[in-house]
Parts: sequence; C-alpha cells; structure tokens
Amino acid sequence: MTEELMLSGCIRNNATAQEALYNRFSPRMLGVCYRFAKNREDAEDMLQEGFIKVFTQIHQYRNEGALEGWIRRIVVHTCINILKKNKKFADSVDIIHATSVHVKEEMIPSIMQAKQVVECIRTLPLGYKTVLNLYAIEGYSHKEIASMLDIEESTSRSQYTRAKAMLEEILIRKKIIQKQRKRSDFYGAVSPS
Amino acid sequence: MDRNFYSDDFEQLLKEKADQFRMYPSKRVWHSIYNNLHPSRRWPSAAMSMLLIISLLLTGYLNTSDNSITNQFVKSSDTENINSSQSTQKTGTQKTVFTNTKHQQLPNTGADYVAKAFTTTESELLTYTDVKTPDPNTIDATIQNNQKEEQFAVENKTANSDKDVFQTAENTGKGITQVIDTYIKTNQIFVDIANANNKTKIKISTPAANNTKEEEFTGADENDLNKTGNEKASTKKSLASPANSVVSNKPVAVNENSVVKKDINLNAKSLSPEEKAWIDNYALQNKSRSNKWKDKLDFEFYITPAVNYRKLTTDSKGSATPFATTGDINKFISQKPGLGVETGVGLSYAFAKNLKLKTGIQFNYTNYNINADQTNHPVLTTLLLNDPTTGYSYLASRTSTISNAYNSSALQPIQIHNRTYQISIPVGLSYKLSSTNNVEWFAGASVQPTYIFGGNAHLISSDLKSYVSDPSSISNWNLNLGFETYMNYKLGGYRLQVGPQVRYQVYSTYRKNVALIEKPYAVGLKVGIIKGF
Repeated sequence: MTEELMLSGCIRNNATAQEALYNRFSPRMLGVCYRFAKNREDAEDMLQEGFIKVFTQIHQYRNEGALEGWIRRIVVHTCINILKKNKKFADSVDIIHATSVHVKEEMIPSIMQAKQVVECIRTLPLGYKTVLNLYAIEGYSHKEIASMLDIEESTSRSQYTRAKAMLEEILIRKKIIQKQRKRSDFYGAVSPS
Repeated sequence: MDRNFYSDDFEQLLKEKADQFRMYPSKRVWHSIYNNLHPSRRWPSAAMSMLLIISLLLTGYLNTSDNSITNQFVKSSDTENINSSQSTQKTGTQKTVFTNTKHQQLPNTGADYVAKAFTTTESELLTYTDVKTPDPNTIDATIQNNQKEEQFAVENKTANSDKDVFQTAENTGKGITQVIDTYIKTNQIFVDIANANNKTKIKISTPAANNTKEEEFTGADENDLNKTGNEKASTKKSLASPANSVVSNKPVAVNENSVVKKDINLNAKSLSPEEKAWIDNYALQNKSRSNKWKDKLDFEFYITPAVNYRKLTTDSKGSATPFATTGDINKFISQKPGLGVETGVGLSYAFAKNLKLKTGIQFNYTNYNINADQTNHPVLTTLLLNDPTTGYSYLASRTSTISNAYNSSALQPIQIHNRTYQISIPVGLSYKLSSTNNVEWFAGASVQPTYIFGGNAHLISSDLKSYVSDPSSISNWNLNLGFETYMNYKLGGYRLQVGPQVRYQVYSTYRKNVALIEKPYAVGLKVGIIKGF
C-alpha cells in the first residue's frame, strides 16, 4: 500500500489503512519510545498513545516533510508528556548535580550495535537520557527542549553535557568506542588494548 | 577543531545507531489502538469480560448448589497436566538465540573479542547484530608471531541458554582469519570490521562447504560513505544456514578501511511472522533482568465495605422434618442485610502480559440483621439437628429468650445480629481487560480458604417461633469465592483500585450437625491502593 493510499485511508478512519501505517512505522517508533521508557511495557504504552494521536490528528498532516518525521514528532511529544506526568521525571530532569549517579555495569547488556548503543543510553539517569535523546538523536534545540520539559535552557545544556560525558564513559567501558578521540574510531572496530 | 569533529561524530554515531534500532510491538498494542479508534467494534472485549464474570459466578454457584451438609468436602478432580515444551531450535529456517556474551582472549595476543553470538536471519541481524572484531593488525601480528591459530567451535544452543557461545580451541590448523570467518558464518552475523590504518590486508581462503548459502552485495549506505569521507567501503554479508556450522566456501575479504554496513532501509514487511516473533522474543529476553521481578510484583492494601446477604435452607432427614411443610424458610424470618467489611494486604505478580496472580491475607467481618422480639422469660424450644452417625434428624431441647418477629407472642422488638470474624488467604487471578495510559480495567476471581475465629449465631428453632443463640454451631473452616472487576488509576507512583466485588461462601456457616444451611454472600465496593516494588 502506498503512502498516499494509507494516508487517505487513515483520514477516512479505514482500519486496514491504519493497520498498514502502523505496521510500517511502529517498529521504528517503538525503538524511539524504548529509549525514553523505563521498560518495554511502558514503551508500548507510549507507542499506543502516540499512534492514537497520530490517527486522530492525521488529517492535519499537510504533506510537508516526511510522514515518518511527522509521526516521530508526535510520538516523541507523547513520550515526553507521559514522562512529565511522573514526579520522578520532574525531579530527575531538574537536578543538575546528578553526576554522582553510577551506572551499574550489569545493567548494560552486551548486545551489539544499535541495540547496544540504545541500551547504554537507557542506562543513563532519566533526566540525562531524556535530554540526550531529544538533543542528540531527535534533533531538538536546547530552547525547544527547555520548552518541552519546562526547564531552563541552561539546565538542558548542562544535562546534555553530563549525559554525553556519562554515555561516553559507558561506551568506552563497553568497548564500543575507544578513548582515542579520532574520527575513524566511531566507525571501526575496537582495537584490543 | 578536533573536539568539534569528535563531538559531531559522537552525536552522529548516536543518532545513526539509535535510528537503526527497531523493536516489534506486541499485538496488544495494535488491538488497543484499534479498540480506541473504533469503539463501536469493541464489543467483543466487553462481551468477553461479561462472559468471564458470569462463567465464574456460574461455576461457583453450580459447584455449591448441592446443599447437603455431608457434602462439605472439597472435591478433588483430576488435573490435566499440560506439558508445554518450548523448542527454540528449528530445522530448515532454524534460529538459535544466544543471549550470553563472552569475552575471550586469544592466547598470546591479549586480543579481546567481544562477540555476541546468535544465529538469525538477515532481517534480524540488520536490526540487532554487530560484531566487534579485533584490529586486523593484531590479527596479522598474531599470525606472524605465534603461528598459532585458533578455531572457534560454535555450539548450537537453545534460546536463553546461559552456556558459552563459543569455545576457543588451539592448534587446529586453521588461520585466525578463517576462524573469524567460521565464527561469523556459523552465527550468521554481519561483520562490522573497520581497519584503523591502511596496512592491513587479509586474504582468506576457506574450505568449501556444502549446503552453505552465501550472497554478496556491494555498496555501503550512502550516508555512511559520506560520513567516512574518502573511505572506500565495500560491503559484504554472508548468510549461512544455521544448521550448518561450517565454513563458507567463499572467503570474507576485508579490504583496507573496509566497512561492512547493514542496510538500514530494512523493510519490515520482508520479515516473516516467525522472524518478527523471534525478534519480539529476543527483545523480551534481553530486558534488564535485575528489575524484572520487581516490575511485575505489586503490593496492595484494600478495604471493602460490603452489604451481607444470606440464603437459608434446611437439610433434614427422617421423621423429624418440621421445616418440610413450611416451604421456603426465609419467608418466616424477618431479616435485613447488614454491613460488613473486608480488609487485607496482598501481593500480585504479573506472570503474563494481562494476567496477574494474586495472594495475600485478609480479614472479614460479616454481619446480617434479624428482626426479633425479646421475651420476658426463657421459653423451652427445640433445634433441629442431624445425627452425624446415622444422618437422621432429631429435635434437641434448648431455651430461648428471643422470639421470632412472626410469633404473635412477641413483646419487645429487638434486632439480633449473626456475625462472624474471619481470616482468609485469597489466591486468585486477575485479567487485564483493557488499559489506557492511566487506567487499567481488570476482572478477577479468587478462592479464599477461610478460618472463622469468632462470631455469634442465632438459629431459628424447629417450630420457627424462637431464636437460639449458639456460637458453637459455627464451623471454624470454610471456603469463599471472590469475584471482582475493578479499575486501576495511576496516581504518581501509586495506583488507586476501585471496583465492585462479590464474595460467596461455599459451605454452610454452621457445623454439619445443624439442619440449617446458611450461605452468606456479600456485595461490596473494593477500594485499594497498589504500589510497585
């Protein structure tokens, strides 16, 4: 089913078109949710909420930009809204001096490539990983992040800086990247040291 | 400048890897979305839940419809053992999942191999797999210096196996590169090898092997090429049947600065249902184990104000059957439902997606009221009792100061109370019928072995004119069934639980020797608070 057919079907609330659109985009969107969520179940809840919004607002899609990008923004905003309802999140994202948080080694599953990187991101404290996800992966500016999370822009920046440092440490420890900071390091295998 | 490059590359790496990552949602998600978008078609869910509740009620009722006091033993029934064996290895399109990761060092090299070994199909690999291989320089050095070669003997193992993924065997006569190739092909994993310098060239010749399927493609992802600048990329992938743990007949040639990239434009539709299921399973299997049980375990405290009712019948045998002519005995008693309460604490464990096993300890106070009259002086009356040895009924003399309200000789209206105090251990199941972000709807049933440690019983006399107070007639042990449906509302870290509940007592309140059979039931509103661990 082409994207145009799916779109027109979804606008008419056609279940087949909706399912086709869901099947096409849900795996990647669940990957997005999983980076924000505590566990897979929460991620699926976020995905569910997100797609309900997608289908109920799909008539607002104006073919400006990729459909996936539009869906992704809705899903990300849904994730943030769900996270914001959790008091822990508000505490976590607003604490700047959270550098003492230690990541337990056993919490990082040794799974290769994308899964491994995502799992490493998920081991970060809630506030860190949210800002990192939004800034580094989703491409939001610190100003936008500050607005989304109801925090100061400077807080977003500091959270991101610390998150990145902590993630680097984890990735180095897991030998996904090397300490030597060269461009080629990120695309090559890790040399045994 | 370096720092900027580094920073940009780091973020690029994160974005790239994160974008590649995919997970396949369970069917529940689509069903929930569908139900939400098409509410008119969600009747099956409501109908099924009603059917569940009705069937549970019916089962409870039918199992206790025999009013015989002598039938107060729990009937045992044969249980059917269902042996469910999970075979994780399949032939043909066999997939073997290895969830363990081994770090093995090659002797004399110190080379640290971080390898995740699991055999998958192409699509699965594209989603999840990556192998970090040692620097080829090190490999060359290893070959030159030691002339000692190794072979990874890959074991076929079942999913979730915690055994070693591969073993290292020395002096097997195969080149180290061949070993790597063997390992790669055996495990059907794409190799992501990038050389750090231009020196390394590895030429591999591998023995031919039958039944080994291999396909090649060239050309890395355009983005990848851009990112690596003037790096030349050649891409190669190999797919081997999982059943064949042999070396492919085609070598893996790793050119300088070669990068084997996966096709990130994977079309999800190319996956078969089996593959999707496997990926789902893989993702589930790789959830963090440390908090797994905590995520599934909940503590709850609840209280249930309830209205108590009862159904009174008789069970008499022989000539002394005064109630036989009266018909429904309840018509001769003026009784009013009384207020009771249930409170308890419990644990629930979500052992399936929508199913929770619940247990705990609870206290019940049951009460119902009887309108009666106080007499001025004790009167002689009789109770209908059953002889436990012969089974025949007989009349036993008692005295009473309470007259049935229907008795015209009444003097002073009073209300008497039949009460019990109970401790029980409910064991039950709850099924999640539907859920949204903040609300979950459950239906559940429980079996509640009960110990009655106190109370008061007023028994109607055989002539229906008086009440005899006899707490000793209460049986200490009983069995209750609970049926409930409730909503869970998320309130921060807690969940508020509210819903109606029915509790039905399976056996008579009274001992076997009493010819009256009283089966109370209570209808209440359960209010609880749930906290996860």
